[in-house]
Amino acid sequence: MLFGQKSELFIPKDAVTVFSINNISLLQKISMDDLVNYEFMEEVHQELFDGSTSGKTLKDAGIDFDQRLNLFYGKTNQNELSGFTFGVKNKAQLFDVFDDFQKLDVAFPGVELYGTFFNNLIIKENTAILVRIEPTMEYIDQMTDSIWYARGNEMPYELFDVYQDEEEEILNEEEFVQEEPAEQISFPEATEDPNVKNYYELRDSVQTILQERELERLMKELFVEHVNLYATDVRFEGQMSHDAIGTFYLDNSRNFEKSQGLWYFQTVLPSLYKDIQELYTGNVILGDLILKDNLVEFQVEAHYGKELGSIYKEMNDSKFDKNVLKYIPETSTGYFTYNVNLRQAYEQAYKVIMPILSDEKNAQISMNVLTIELLNEFVNKDALFGTYKGSMFGTFNGIKKIKTKKIEFYYDEETFEYGEREAEAEEDMPIFTMGFSIDRSDIPEKVMKHMGRLTSKFKNMGSYWKFENAILDSAPLYFINRNGLFIITNDEDLAVNHADGYGADALTRKEKQAAKKSGFMYAHIDIAETLNRFPSGVLNPRQEEIVQSLKGKSGQFDLTSNKTTSEMTKFKLQYSFEGNEATGKHLLDLINSIYVVTTFNP
Amino acid sequence: MHNDGSGTLRYKVNLSASKVKVNSILALDSLDGKKVPSIQEISSKIGEFAKILDAQPGISNVLIEENYTDFILKFSCDFSSIMSLQAGLANAIEAVSKDKLGPEADEIWITWDGNKLKRSIPAFARAKVKAYKSNDLELLKEGTYTSITRFDRPIEKFDNTLGTLSKSKTAVMVKSSAFNIKENQDLLENTIYLISTKN
Repeated sequence: MLFGQKSELFIPKDAVTVFSINNISLLQKISMDDLVNYEFMEEVHQELFDGSTSGKTLKDAGIDFDQRLNLFYGKTNQNELSGFTFGVKNKAQLFDVFDDFQKLDVAFPGVELYGTFFNNLIIKENTAILVRIEPTMEYIDQMTDSIWYARGNEMPYELFDVYQDEEEEILNEEEFVQEEPAEQISFPEATEDPNVKNYYELRDSVQTILQERELERLMKELFVEHVNLYATDVRFEGQMSHDAIGTFYLDNSRNFEKSQGLWYFQTVLPSLYKDIQELYTGNVILGDLILKDNLVEFQVEAHYGKELGSIYKEMNDSKFDKNVLKYIPETSTGYFTYNVNLRQAYEQAYKVIMPILSDEKNAQISMNVLTIELLNEFVNKDALFGTYKGSMFGTFNGIKKIKTKKIEFYYDEETFEYGEREAEAEEDMPIFTMGFSIDRSDIPEKVMKHMGRLTSKFKNMGSYWKFENAILDSAPLYFINRNGLFIITNDEDLAVNHADGYGADALTRKEKQAAKKSGFMYAHIDIAETLNRFPSGVLNPRQEEIVQSLKGKSGQFDLTSNKTTSEMTKFKLQYSFEGNEATGKHLLDLINSIYVVTTFNP
Repeated sequence: MHNDGSGTLRYKVNLSASKVKVNSILALDSLDGKKVPSIQEISSKIGEFAKILDAQPGISNVLIEENYTDFILKFSCDFSSIMSLQAGLANAIEAVSKDKLGPEADEIWITWDGNKLKRSIPAFARAKVKAYKSNDLELLKEGTYTSITRFDRPIEKFDNTLGTLSKSKTAVMVKSSAFNIKENQDLLENTIYLISTKN
């Protein structure tokens, strides 16, 4: 066996997301300072990395590079946990770097426990888990309330509300006194009796106890019962058997269960929640990161349950629209095609979801069901899905100069008197094109004709429509409604000279084949030409992080997908580069990009 | 500048050649970690500045013209003396800025003795310009800075080698690229000597 297989046995069963890095010797030279700056390390207690880690590398930390480094995160209804597991080669070096940990008592033989204020480091033999386990706020509140009321206390919130108006407090007190004699007041005035905790003091104690209890439970689970993610989830076990340099595991079905936003469904519509939960059963994303010569491949399998799978299968059962390939120029440095059948997806989703909703005996849901059923009957679905079929493509054709108008100040050469005049100007603008497959081209045509009547800025130019000053009140936007496509672009060259496509200047045959062969999705990006030139101003901070993490690199990104089945869809992201770039830093950059992309939650 | 030391200051900022860029920045919530103000906020700040300046002793007729289609801002005010102008501007800038000017507010950066106008660059402005960093600095090369100083009577000579004299000899113009001024603010320093009224 090339790699050790121990650190993965320390991953708690409640981990929902795991990043496992195999052959971590690649990372030996990575400095702690660099490591801590990665987004994926945000889940792993950055306060660990203080002055004692500065200037040190992973190699200095006594880590065993023959074991995997596994980063994990999970959340249950009772706690949130995150951390990483790894092999230990030299304990002295380890504590030289992580010098804030104090040894704590532990009841499990062979297990050493160390702690800081937030984190715990648990070592057994030559494997360690660094973990932070925290009870959730809801769980703490629930336990605190339970104890508080069991002791005969009243609602705590008004009593300790520091913002409460004093006058109002007096009034409340008077009302209270009128209702009950003073000696019968049952709640303790914590401020008067130092031996009795007020609500918030009690809550703090509950939090501490729960945290200790959860840690105890976790240790028992891992070291006595030998219950861990590897032992409880065969899909994860399968992932660990892969010889990939890195593997990724995300159990979306458990993410769904713990989703805070669904509390309403959980409490008010429990049967509906259960039905929707069943839809998500088996929804797991598994990924392998593979290093080959001048190629990094990220293979992803998106698994889902039967019901959801049937919707995805119908959605992705779509014939590739070859017309889109005519509109992607060979010079395009970044483009994607997205090929889905929304009509079939809608019909299947209607079949799967409507019975779930119809069974719900709730007035509001029943009204919604009726509305959806009526819309389904009355709306012309041929027109709707003929206008927006779901398939689309997009290209980024670099930065081009576009013509704008400016106000020029000029000065009389003799008197220096000043005047203003309008002049032509040129500004840099990223050139984007977005096109949609369409059967009912008459419908957008109607809209555009109407727009043309409403404003002189909207003009029919024959083979295309032009909307003056549409972008940022400065640059025109063009609409091409031909060849079964409705295209929106700010590329004047495409509208004026290539309204029927680029002809011989379109993608090469090989590139076309790659897009056609891919399943419902294909993307190609020339990193140097696209990301380095991509205007970061148009991105939100998170998207900018993704782009920044890839900037400065060269090579090609290709994203392909296979045919969607009712069980899963496979994706493959290939990064090919020239030269020897496969350093640990580069690998971490990629892992980070993948982490940011896969955990992206807009 | 009038002979009696009073005068009018006109200041115009023209960003119309970059309106796509300005509009795209305004569309963002933040840039380089700093909040991007809305047009309403910018306008409100300018209005506040004008109001404060108009209330300063020796300053009158403060006028602001804002054009947010082409991004042109025009500002003008009358002053009774150069000292009133400097004090008024320093007070108004300090009132609307987060950063206080401190002793720099008292710096004298422009003087007039009836025959000679001497202009330098105030330290607070130097510090601001020096600290300004951006990936877009190269774009400043396409921007122009033009300064015209007019007088009631003819100019005898001036120090700034970039300056040119009008045909009537009552105005001097200094022109440079915005980038050069960012790099070397001394380019704007000038001492203009007028033909003495005693002659």
